[in-house]
Amino acid sequence: MELAFYLSGLVAILATLGVISGTHAVHALLYLIVSLLAVAMTFFALGAPFAGALEIIVYAGAIMVLFVFVVMMLNLGEDTQEQERAWLKPKTWLGPSLLAGVLMLVMITMLIEAGDGRLIDGDLLTAKAVGQLLFGPWLLVVELAAFLLLAALVTASHVGRLSAFQGERE
Amino acid sequence: MQTFNDVFALMPLMLVGATAVAIMVGIAWRRQHGATAIVTAVGLNLALLSLGWLSLLGIPGTAYFVLDGLTYMASVLILVSALACVTLAHDYLGGYSGAREEFYLLLLCAVGGGLALSASQHLATLFFALELMSMPLYGMLAYTYRDQRSLEAGLKYLILSAAGTAFLLFGMALLYAQSGRLDFEGLVTSMTSRGSLWTLAGVGLILVGLGFKLSIVPFHLWTPDVYEGGPGPAITFLATASKVAVFVVILRLILAAPAFQSGALEQVLVVLAFVSMLAGNLLALLQSNLKRLLGYSSIAHFGYLMVALVVGEGLAVETAGVYLISYLLTNLGAFGVVTLVSSPYKGEDAAALHHYRGLFWRRPYLAAVLTVSLLSLAGIPFTVGFIGKFYVIALGVEAAQWWLVVGVILGSAIGLFYYLRVMVTLYLVEPGMRRRDAVDAWGWHPSGLVVVGVVMLVVVLGIYPTPMIDWMHWVAAASR
Repeated sequence: MELAFYLSGLVAILATLGVISGTHAVHALLYLIVSLLAVAMTFFALGAPFAGALEIIVYAGAIMVLFVFVVMMLNLGEDTQEQERAWLKPKTWLGPSLLAGVLMLVMITMLIEAGDGRLIDGDLLTAKAVGQLLFGPWLLVVELAAFLLLAALVTASHVGRLSAFQGERE
Repeated sequence: MQTFNDVFALMPLMLVGATAVAIMVGIAWRRQHGATAIVTAVGLNLALLSLGWLSLLGIPGTAYFVLDGLTYMASVLILVSALACVTLAHDYLGGYSGAREEFYLLLLCAVGGGLALSASQHLATLFFALELMSMPLYGMLAYTYRDQRSLEAGLKYLILSAAGTAFLLFGMALLYAQSGRLDFEGLVTSMTSRGSLWTLAGVGLILVGLGFKLSIVPFHLWTPDVYEGGPGPAITFLATASKVAVFVVILRLILAAPAFQSGALEQVLVVLAFVSMLAGNLLALLQSNLKRLLGYSSIAHFGYLMVALVVGEGLAVETAGVYLISYLLTNLGAFGVVTLVSSPYKGEDAAALHHYRGLFWRRPYLAAVLTVSLLSLAGIPFTVGFIGKFYVIALGVEAAQWWLVVGVILGSAIGLFYYLRVMVTLYLVEPGMRRRDAVDAWGWHPSGLVVVGVVMLVVVLGIYPTPMIDWMHWVAAASR
């Protein structure tokens, strides 16, 4: 179990390095997915399956949305096929898939070791318990986080506004 | 579970939040600049009133937010500064051609973060409140984003602040790994019972994260650029309210943990304070941009304030309170004048010193306001800045922190030079060219009234500081 934790931690660090050193958005996104999966794996190894599952659902889902955006921003056409062929060079996918392979190995060994699947010990934190905590004593912190997101959204929408607004106003 | 007590305790925060939501709905319905500013001001005033009501009720607060003297003091200061920023922003944004109403929404969110931050006694709320305060500030700094400098200021603050937050989080993780607690009380008991190298590292990292927001040397590199680039009202808020909130939370941490007063950490604080005083003043010496100069001077002022952190007992709370009040009022005056001269918005703010050359001959009262603010920053008697500096030196002498006393005196001596340099510029002969100027009859604009009122307070509290000192006695007594 400890080995799983440290291995996935290492994978997360390496993959994140890949994210920030990549010059191409899509390549960086590939690494980012691996990094998030590795973080989820460390959560599993620590005995927090709920946090791990959330990490995969929320972040991996968000990354898919990012992918869609990148595809949207590119002009589709003849060039796109060329581009896709260029993206499929082994150099681009070998790194992430190697790291993902390590993660899978970790998971398979964990599953084999566990046998009956009861390897995670301690109290299982269920979705219900998390929800009760968040909307019970932590309600205010949840509200603060909501305002934080509102502020971020307003900032992004304001700074990202096109100057077309000017004409609309007059 | 939430009880009525908890709901009452968070009344100011909820009022500010409700105002923010109201403004958001208002923007979606119809854009109205004047009405938005008025609603914001009404909401902030209601929050101020609810604070007074709460202090009469004497509610102790909740598990995550404490309501003691320090909270009341910081909340009042933040709300007052926010009110000043709203009035300044109303005149400033009058000339802005893009969307103006979002500024008030962001300001309210930042105020909510500041209120929560000054009351937080739990690392989780501290983190969220700090982020809630910084996040809208990115938007406020980059508000006039078509001006390149404003955008640069916002981005710079965003990236460096994220780095600071990473330090803060890592420090929190180390402390949690050692103690298994996140509330200040639990942290302190575990720190005193078994302090280890990891605890020290954690506290150090937290200090880096918070020191960044206060722009203490050596985490100050962002300050001049951000101060120079950001629009006037945003900088006013950044320089006053946000720093007060962060300082109060550090003070609360240090008062709670006696571990700070012993050994390595105290030494670190002494060195940081000394270096901040000297470096801030020395770097300000040859600035030709008023906003940059005020940015460097704020670094030095937080160096002086750190004397209260180093001593951390006796008169420390009173000293911090008095100094924070003087810092806040004085900076509201100084940045208010800069904003007034730059309003209504016409591109980059008029902050270069040559814009102010001969201001006295055009706008004698405005020049007088700026002069009083600068005198107070320099700590000249009959201004509130003198009272603050007097307290700091008295505290340092009483605790026998001679290095810090030397630093304060040296820093003030250097500071006098560049404050006087700006003042002399105000009274020089006016250059022939017509430069940026405040609008006619500025004194009858709301923001003009605010600036004049703030400076009157600076003088009145400098001559007759008893009410302020009495209030601080009450704050110190209510914080124990």
